Amino acid sequence: MEKNTFDAIVVGTGVSGGWAAKELTEKGLKTLVLDRGPMVKHLDYPTAMKNPWELPYGDEPTQADIARWPKHTRPSFYGITQSTKHWFVDDIDNPYEETKPFDWFRGYHVGGRSLMWGRQSYRFSEMDFEANGKEGVGVDWPIRYNDLAKWYDYVEHFIGVSGNNDHLAQLPDGDFLPPMDLNCVEKDFQGKLDDKFKRKLIIGRTANLSAPLKHDQSPQRGTCQYRNLCMRGCPFGGYFSSNSSTLPSAERTGNMTMVTNAIVYELIYDNNKGKATGVRVLDAETGHQTEYFARVIFMNASTFGTTHILLNSTSTRFPNGFGNDSGELGHNIMDHLFGTGARAMVDGHEDRYYSGRRPTGFYIPRYRNIGTDKQRYLRGFGFQGGAGRQDWTRLVDENAMGAELKKAAEAPGPWYVSMMGFGEMLPSHKNFVTLDRNHKDKYGMPVLNFDAAHQENEIMMGKAIIDDALEMLTGAGYRDVGSFTMKANVGAGIHEMGTARMGRDPKTSVLNGFNQMHACKNVYITDGSAMASSACQNPSLTYMALTARAADHAVQELKRGNI
Amino acid sequence: MNRREWLKSMSALAVGAIAGPSLLAVFDAHAASQAPAAKPQFFNPAQYSLVGTVSDIVIPRTDTPGAVDAGVPLFIDQMFSAVYAKVDQTRYLNAMAAFDKAGGKPFMQLNDAQRKALVDKLHKEALAVPKGGKPAPAADFVMMSKKLAMLGFFLSQPGCTQVLQYAAVPAQWKADIPLSEAGNGKAWAVEAELKI
Repeated sequence: MEKNTFDAIVVGTGVSGGWAAKELTEKGLKTLVLDRGPMVKHLDYPTAMKNPWELPYGDEPTQADIARWPKHTRPSFYGITQSTKHWFVDDIDNPYEETKPFDWFRGYHVGGRSLMWGRQSYRFSEMDFEANGKEGVGVDWPIRYNDLAKWYDYVEHFIGVSGNNDHLAQLPDGDFLPPMDLNCVEKDFQGKLDDKFKRKLIIGRTANLSAPLKHDQSPQRGTCQYRNLCMRGCPFGGYFSSNSSTLPSAERTGNMTMVTNAIVYELIYDNNKGKATGVRVLDAETGHQTEYFARVIFMNASTFGTTHILLNSTSTRFPNGFGNDSGELGHNIMDHLFGTGARAMVDGHEDRYYSGRRPTGFYIPRYRNIGTDKQRYLRGFGFQGGAGRQDWTRLVDENAMGAELKKAAEAPGPWYVSMMGFGEMLPSHKNFVTLDRNHKDKYGMPVLNFDAAHQENEIMMGKAIIDDALEMLTGAGYRDVGSFTMKANVGAGIHEMGTARMGRDPKTSVLNGFNQMHACKNVYITDGSAMASSACQNPSLTYMALTARAADHAVQELKRGNI
Repeated sequence: MNRREWLKSMSALAVGAIAGPSLLAVFDAHAASQAPAAKPQFFNPAQYSLVGTVSDIVIPRTDTPGAVDAGVPLFIDQMFSAVYAKVDQTRYLNAMAAFDKAGGKPFMQLNDAQRKALVDKLHKEALAVPKGGKPAPAADFVMMSKKLAMLGFFLSQPGCTQVLQYAAVPAQWKADIPLSEAGNGKAWAVEAELKI
């Protein structure tokens, strides 16, 4: 029994779990960190240094791969390649149901999706935290920007975010490493957007080290080498992942015990104490069941991973799922509108080029429903994109063959610019996930069933994304302007959130303003499920800031004897 | 699990131990089972030599290696063996059969000049098909083979490093420089494709 008892348990090791592990161990708590998948130590990145010719099948998925990953090979996704497929769970052993189609892309291993994430790191702004309350949508956030500002500083400083301070109310500045530069066509587009539309184009803020970190706590991390192969794992430690950053810090404290292949299937509730006392775990390899106990539990299993465990944890106190007095657990699924945008060809600039592969693009921050702008839909969207020169693939459809074709391929092609919208999705009780008790996975766990769709506001916004992208590229004077729409379901943005939301009122939300469960104060949830709204910025940085803040709160509450 | 079962399970517990293999071990095993064959599996010898000959017409040896030097025929065989679906396999083989009849006598019995002339003619024929249209099978074969030869060649080491230029570890990002100062001034083998 003694052996199984800790001060704290952290469930999950992705973006937020790694942060919980680091903060709790650094504050002196003996912490058990559980991950449902196998170990990935920093540097265990088997394809990281492979050259194009060292990857079989042109890095394409084989028919066998498609059979194993039928959902992860949907058109909106790009991860099932020979160089990165090992980071994604196969769909055969990890099924889910779709009352409505839903794209759920997962990685079950230490580090989770922090290994493969897109690294775009943006703060939510005051207007994002205020919007729900002002507009009567969902529930009001129980916090405001000022509650989180110093925690954003704290996590940016530690992980290293390259970016520019652009002085925009909708996109607060931060503690940045030097920005990466725009290329000549991106600068041209930036100038034209400013002149003609009074809109800003900025360099993407990315968790890659454009310069050494401003602290000495992560000696394993070196600067970005501009290979743009981040998704394979970076042996240089050039970008933030749990594996390269937070978990090594947690390990160095001597306070972390990590158990891998540990599927948490239930939280244990003690009726007499009115608290969670621990978790029940199934070994993914052996099926062996174990219980672990602690004074405080952090749930960081990812939005639906955490929701899954809570829905599966029923008791007389919580017949509808752990902490689910409000009936909102599993509801209010949000993602970002994803997969639509526009591209164009850009004449000129033939004598300019670039060197290196920049691991970020440009960002056009939200401009809709800001200041005097008023639209029929609520909220807004941003664009992420880039300009570059076309490669040899342009020659397939050109009249070039033989020696002439080889010669033509030696020259960089004409310039193009491309951009895709990321739009805010509103919280709605009608977008939800449930447990399907008739369908169990190979571990005996009932699988999740998704029932979520874009609604009226999202549909209006989706049209505006395309219209605006076409208008901006046309207005800039570029040619062959065209829109694109890829088949993308809710979830395709891989920014899923909202299923155990924060709020002021226990009747309408699961968590309070410190990510603490209203109904069970020694459980904290700081992954994407905590989000009360989605804004249109990439959300991972906000999960990190919320986690660091919640860990600080939990340790204080433990000291005060409140939990 | 009842209390008794639970106590029993405790004896086998070792906290902190990593029970299963690491992902790296799983990766190695999977990679070994997925390794492409070193010999052609999909094409018969006659088809394989035809594909090789057409590949070298698309990308011949000049002062730099050509498609066959770069191992393109085996690459194409591997793509059909493992990557392309049945419907694409059938389309390619049927198109190849039509192509083999398009030159009056079997393609491999033509001389070098005749082979090249046939490929050029069918290439132009395919390019003349309006967008959205479908070239006849023999021309379709030339277009598919051109695409495959280019893919195999420009991903190969000679393609990346001798025709294009390649930097495994660029170390620096220079966003806006004269073309002449971007390495040797040739196109980069790997363009920075944005993945968000």
